[in-house]
Amino acid sequence: MAKTGPSDEVVIDVRELTKHYPDVKAIDGIDFEVHRGEIFSLLGPNGAGKTTTVEILEGLREPGGGEAHVLGVDVRNDYGRIREKVGVLPQDYEPFDRLRPREAIAYWAALFNRRITKPEIAALLETVGLTARADAYAMHLSGGEKRRLGIALSLVGKPELVFLDEPTTGLDPGARRDLWALIKQLKAAGKTVILTTHYLDEAEQLADHVAIMNKGKIVARGTPGELILQYGQGTTIVLADAGEAGLAALTARGIPARLEGDNVVVHATAAEVRQMLAKLASIDVPLTEIYTRRDTLEDVFLRVVGARMREGVLAE
Amino acid sequence: MRRVIADLVAFGRQYMRSRVGAFFAFAFPVILILLFGAIFSGQGSVKVQLYVQDLDDTNTSHAFLGALNDTTVIVYHQIPANVNIVTYIGQNSVNTALLIPNGFEDSIRRNETVNVTLYGDPTQSTYGVAASVVSGIATYMNFQIAGARPLIGMASVPIGEGFKFIDFFLPGMIGFTILTNALFAMTPVAAEYRSRKYFKFLATTTLKKGEWLLSKVLFYTLIMSVSAVIIIAVSSLVWGGNLIITPVSVALMFAFIAAGCFEFTSMGMALGMYTKDVETASAVANAIGFPMMFLGGTFFQIEAMPPVIQGLASVMPLTYLNEGLRATMIFSNEGKALAYLGVTLVLGFVFFVIPAKLLSWKTK
Repeated sequence: MAKTGPSDEVVIDVRELTKHYPDVKAIDGIDFEVHRGEIFSLLGPNGAGKTTTVEILEGLREPGGGEAHVLGVDVRNDYGRIREKVGVLPQDYEPFDRLRPREAIAYWAALFNRRITKPEIAALLETVGLTARADAYAMHLSGGEKRRLGIALSLVGKPELVFLDEPTTGLDPGARRDLWALIKQLKAAGKTVILTTHYLDEAEQLADHVAIMNKGKIVARGTPGELILQYGQGTTIVLADAGEAGLAALTARGIPARLEGDNVVVHATAAEVRQMLAKLASIDVPLTEIYTRRDTLEDVFLRVVGARMREGVLAE
Repeated sequence: MRRVIADLVAFGRQYMRSRVGAFFAFAFPVILILLFGAIFSGQGSVKVQLYVQDLDDTNTSHAFLGALNDTTVIVYHQIPANVNIVTYIGQNSVNTALLIPNGFEDSIRRNETVNVTLYGDPTQSTYGVAASVVSGIATYMNFQIAGARPLIGMASVPIGEGFKFIDFFLPGMIGFTILTNALFAMTPVAAEYRSRKYFKFLATTTLKKGEWLLSKVLFYTLIMSVSAVIIIAVSSLVWGGNLIITPVSVALMFAFIAAGCFEFTSMGMALGMYTKDVETASAVANAIGFPMMFLGGTFFQIEAMPPVIQGLASVMPLTYLNEGLRATMIFSNEGKALAYLGVTLVLGFVFFVIPAKLLSWKTK
């Protein structure tokens, strides 16, 4: 696989895209660009409009208003021209129960008008880590293996652009990390990947660019680093188990702090961290340890959406 | 065409691996043909069990019973003279019984009218047979006693000599197998493809809706052709048979199989489009398929049905498939067969257009 990085070439261009239904504005005027060779993540809770957005970009759903171009083609017209260049793993993908992965790949290749050889099938199975399960009925594969098969099918047409719609939802942590490695491999092979997810760590680990969606709108957009810089509060200093007494001690000395459980947390910019740590060390505060924590997308999400997210559901 | 063949092969693999599909395609029709053949193969020598209480017990009453016995249609059993016939019928679950009254012979000698009495359920076919035979014997004896002879007789010339029930049943069995496989299977398949989002996934490939439909029609045509050959072979080996086997009749039979698969696969697709899940789809297919199975001339001749039912049968797509197959396989009536083939193809086209035009793999 020839390694390539993101380029300046725009492969997806979305302008003022809308999709309204009688009872809901599924997409409410969103804009973003995706560059060739990058992993672009649409991040948000269930019902945010992620799947509606990608289904429009996959040519599976009619857009309402606005513009959406994929590989230079208006998604309203001529999607057939780029169909073979686009691979899709749909949300809640289920394989055909009584086809073996080896057979499913050959079948799917034919649906892309592609003659695939046995060595090519073997190579694809190897890529997605299904060599050992190549001859098992799909109904007997684990959840992670089924998603891997789905990814294999999305790659069978040798696409330039791969849509992965919540590929790790419902998988155990081990299977999720295995899939992350596979997604990184796709990027390394020069594919452009559009990843929808409601896992903040997944987006932070994998994505070059992230668009956070909520209620049909993009509420924040940028690289994970840019978002943390823009919406985060720098570094968080944690005084473990300092409790109410610790909070009172810090507040008495004019240091802004707040309680997170039994921990007292203090925010500082990168320039302030050293000075703040020295200041905190001079105060007699009961604690078990003191450590620093860099802001994550979770902190960004909390600030731009106003709620935490667990398994795709916003927590009040 | 490569996409169609690939889809056909993938669908076929899954179908055959499910075992249920293979059972209904190959084993079930063979079981039915053996079962119905066993039930109806001896239809010409059906005997009616008639229970007789002879309260007269004279030479004349014995002669009457002897004449009944000679028909070979009736097997009679004696009811003791000292029991009440109605009670006996109830206690012994007798379907049909005949009472010859005391004084039967004396009344005839005195030239007085005397009735024998037939007990039974008029809705039962055995009652009808017994009534016809008893009435015929009475008329025969009346002529004998009167010294007269019938002036109008009946000569019979069998058409399609040598045909048996199994020959009538076999084309219906082929039609029935096409119905149960193509319609009953495709309706839930379409519903499953929708509920499991297979259509959406297929829409991400270059496969067209029409190609997907075509592959299903071709698949069912292929397996139904094999199934028809097996049905005919088993039936011929076990029950014999007098089907017309000519190049034209064989070609027409396969044309009907293809047209029937086209018709019922498309119909199943159209029904599956509007059902929410597999269970509902199966119920809908059954609700439509079962009446068609019975009214479409699979098991019973449509001509023998009441006029209202005949009217219903005339709007059943299966009727034209079954009758068309009979026209070519039994009667060698190519003209009628071609007309029915045309009707089947037109209906198939209508059902094909509905899913091809209205079924959307995209989401609104």
